[in-house]
This record gives sequence, C-alpha cells and structure tokens, in this order.
Amino acid sequence: MADDQLRQQLKEMIVERLFLDVDPAQIGDDEDLMESYEIDSVNLFEIVVGMEEQFEISFEDDDFSVDLFATVSSLADFVARKRG
Amino acid sequence: MIALDERPVTIDSSGHELHGVLHLPAEPAGRALVFCHPFAEEKKCAHRTMVETARACAGAGWAVLRFDLRGCGDSPGEFGQFDLDDWRADVAAALDRARREAGVEAVGLLGLRLGATLAAEVAEQRSDTACLVLWEPIVDGERYITQNLRRSMIKAMMTRHEGGGDAEGAAREAHALGEGTVDFDGYQVPERLREQIAAIDLLSSRAYAGPALVVSLTPREAVAEPLQRLAGVYPRGVAIAARQEPVWQRIGIIDAAPTIEATVDWLTQLD
Repeated sequence: MADDQLRQQLKEMIVERLFLDVDPAQIGDDEDLMESYEIDSVNLFEIVVGMEEQFEISFEDDDFSVDLFATVSSLADFVARKRG
Repeated sequence: MIALDERPVTIDSSGHELHGVLHLPAEPAGRALVFCHPFAEEKKCAHRTMVETARACAGAGWAVLRFDLRGCGDSPGEFGQFDLDDWRADVAAALDRARREAGVEAVGLLGLRLGATLAAEVAEQRSDTACLVLWEPIVDGERYITQNLRRSMIKAMMTRHEGGGDAEGAAREAHALGEGTVDFDGYQVPERLREQIAAIDLLSSRAYAGPALVVSLTPREAVAEPLQRLAGVYPRGVAIAARQEPVWQRIGIIDAAPTIEATVDWLTQLD
C-alpha cells in the first residue's frame, strides 16, 4: 500500500500538470479522477509523462489500463510497485 | 481592428511549390523570421498559436514567413511521402525566400517541436541565420516516438473504454502499428522517416553559434532539464520557462501569451 506522502505528491503533480483550479488536498484518494475532473486522453498522457519524470519510473506497454488511472490510490500503488 | 499586412506566397523548394503566408510589419525594419511548424496532429493543434505568433512578431517589426512543409497543410504531396532531408531543404528554401522578401542578409528561424529541431539543424548549416528560437524542440528522437506511440495507445484505450470495449486490447492494437510504419495519432509515419526521427539527438549536434533562445512550455517555474542542457550547448544560448499549457496537444484555443510575449521580448533585445 502506498503512503500518504506519495499520494499527496501525485495529487500535486496532477493539479500542476493539468492546470486544475483545485487544492490538491481536496482530491480524495479514491475519488474517480476521470469523472470528477473530466480527464481525457490528453490529460492521461500528461499524467504518464509527469509520473515518469517525477517518480523516475517507466511505463511498459502492458501497464496501460483504465483501472490504473482511476484514482490517486491506484496510481500510488502503481508507483510503489514500480519502485519495488 | 488592427490592420494586417499578410499575403499568401508560394515557395519553390526543389520544384515543390510550398504554401506560405508572409506577415509584414507596418514599416520595413530589415528583420525577418521563418516559422517552422510542428509535425502531424501537433501542427493542427498549434495552428492558431503560430498565426498569433507571426502577427505579434510582425507587430514588433519582424517580417515573418509561415509555411507548410511538403505533404503538410496546404502544400502539395502526401503525408508520409517525404522525409527529414526533404523538410530540411524546405526550411532552407523558406529561409532564402524570406531573405529576398525582407531584403536582409540574415533571417531568424523559429520553430515548435519537430519544427524547432529542423530549424536547429538548418541553422547549423547556414551562415545566414540571424537567430534561433526553439519552442520545446525534440531533443531525443527515440523518446519522441515513444511518446507518440503512447499517445495513440492512450487514445485507443479511452475510446474503447467509453464505448464499453476491451480497453487493454485496444492499447495492444495501437502498439502493433509500431512495426515498420508507426501511427502518430492517426498519421502513418513510414519506416524511413521513423528511423530518421529516431536518430535525432540534438544535444550532440554541432551547435549554432548565433543568439539562441530555448523555450520550455511547462506547468512549472523551471526549464525542463533537457532543454536547459540544450541551451548550454549553444555559445549564446539562453533557456526560459513559459508557464502555460502545451499548444500542440489539443485542438482548441490555448492562451499562448506567455510564450509569445517572452519570444517577442527576446527578439526585441537583439536590436
């Protein structure tokens, strides 16, 4: 399970890269990101690039699934797994 | 209403008649720029920004030539029929045309994404390049290809998801186009062009010695690390961060004022 600090870093990265007008702390860990913030394919691409740059991980082709991008918690778990 | 002096021009590039638009300043100032557009879908997304940039630069006293590379926009030919060698020749032809139109000895090159990379490569080979402005140039060709494939995969995944289909299968299908020809968001890039793009390594290229501005369009205050390194390669290079959304990723109106104003400010300081 990913820690609170990682989830907060992800929220800040998402708000920054998507230019969202929202306090990162207000994003729920298990909130549906696509539904709440109208995230589309362009936004997802930005999130992928942001995760790779900030957390120094690499996505593989098999990693791409809608479930991965569903919530901050799912993204944080993914980063934690990638970091080993 | 601002009176604009703009007219269509045709640029001869090795027998190919390229479409261009010349933006002229109110008073001839002896300064000219050629704008090199980005690639494929990125060109469509950035079109309005390129127009606004040309008008802003013309307002600051620069003649600006926007043009379409072979097989792109309004220029003749099929997309995928040409390669980077052809497009470098097109940039050089546009530079010659702008020099004649403005009656100047040297012309600046301004480019976005792959257009910026082409501009940087042509500037290395031409002694008549007055200055170089690179907006988010492609520094690493392999990474650029990977990112384009990912964009296609994500789009396919989301399309299937919204339609209730197998999202993961769509991603695999999109990636399958990576063999030989690659799919850049609907544009089929043939193998030869793909190999040329993959070979791009701007950091190891011979550096242009004139004044160079590298602009990082970024959500952050800092310049992206590869672009900072690129600016360091140029003896007279400077890198700045323009805090704004990318102008090449989404069809629609993006406020490009931070990038345009920073560019015009820098050009003005060259006087």
